[in-house]
Amino acid sequence: METRPYFVFGDLIGNLTTGAFVGGLCTAVITLNWEVSIAMVAGMAIGMAVSLPAGVLFGSLFGALEVFLPVMTTGMVAGMVVGMRSSMVVIAFVDAVWVGGACGVGIVIVTYLANVWIQRGAQRWTT
Amino acid sequence: MDDITRKKWDRAAPTFDIWSSSGQEKRWEPFKRTLFSNMSNQKVLFVALGTGLDVACFPEGRSITAIDISQKMLDRAKVRTDAYTGDLRVIQADVHDMPFDESQFDQVFTSCTFCSVPDPVGGLLALRRVLKPKGELFMFEHTGSRFFPFKLMMDLMTVVSRRFGPEMNRQTVDNVVKAGYRLKKVTPVYLDVVKTIHAVSTK
Repeated sequence: METRPYFVFGDLIGNLTTGAFVGGLCTAVITLNWEVSIAMVAGMAIGMAVSLPAGVLFGSLFGALEVFLPVMTTGMVAGMVVGMRSSMVVIAFVDAVWVGGACGVGIVIVTYLANVWIQRGAQRWTT
Repeated sequence: MDDITRKKWDRAAPTFDIWSSSGQEKRWEPFKRTLFSNMSNQKVLFVALGTGLDVACFPEGRSITAIDISQKMLDRAKVRTDAYTGDLRVIQADVHDMPFDESQFDQVFTSCTFCSVPDPVGGLLALRRVLKPKGELFMFEHTGSRFFPFKLMMDLMTVVSRRFGPEMNRQTVDNVVKAGYRLKKVTPVYLDVVKTIHAVSTK
């Protein structure tokens, strides 16, 4: 598991920022009259489109795939969550940003735990 | 020589350090140093030197032959290779068609190489040819993932990335076995995606 402060900080900032941006963008685009499943797919697509340049930007500072994979997952999850929510209830822009950011932090935690799990089972999974 | 691959990396050379040198190299540096610390005082082949970003992680005073398919990459590597305190010989060569006799090297090292070699099993077989019997292969590579959603993402990324550089979903560990090496150790660096591989030629 990554413990160097610069990279832990980078992982958190990268995912928090991407999630917050995707959340804000999705709630601005997706409104109450959208069908839920379409809103979910559209949110996911917006999230992935935003996370590609975000991954390149943060990756150049903090790492390669260690940044790219969580940031893309964050974009996808934040887009899905905020997109679906925006099609069901009126959600304030600030709340959408917070939800998106929280998705980003959650993804960082999940990928760190997944990394520990895979390292423990290395012989089984990687050979 | 594979001209399509050579031209691809010639085109990438001017901007390669911008994409690769900062965050990625800082993050991977300790893992690369640990892997390259296995370089012995015997004959070592380093495959795909690129712009020489890995040279800073080489232990001092070794006798290393380094190859890369792109002369433009090697031109950019010159400052770094000149600064190396050891015997570092640099040759433009395609891994599929290396100008070396059989069983010449004791060890082969690669670093983010087999994401880009067009025929990975063929390339690994070519390395086995130049390795002495029981010669060692040490690799620092990124590969595809077995896990959702990373597998899906890496498959999608490969559609774009293979046009200008690497493929993100290679199964390099399986390819090493297919090419006739015996795995000694596979160490994950990040998830099941970035890893170091230590294998021995079975010839």
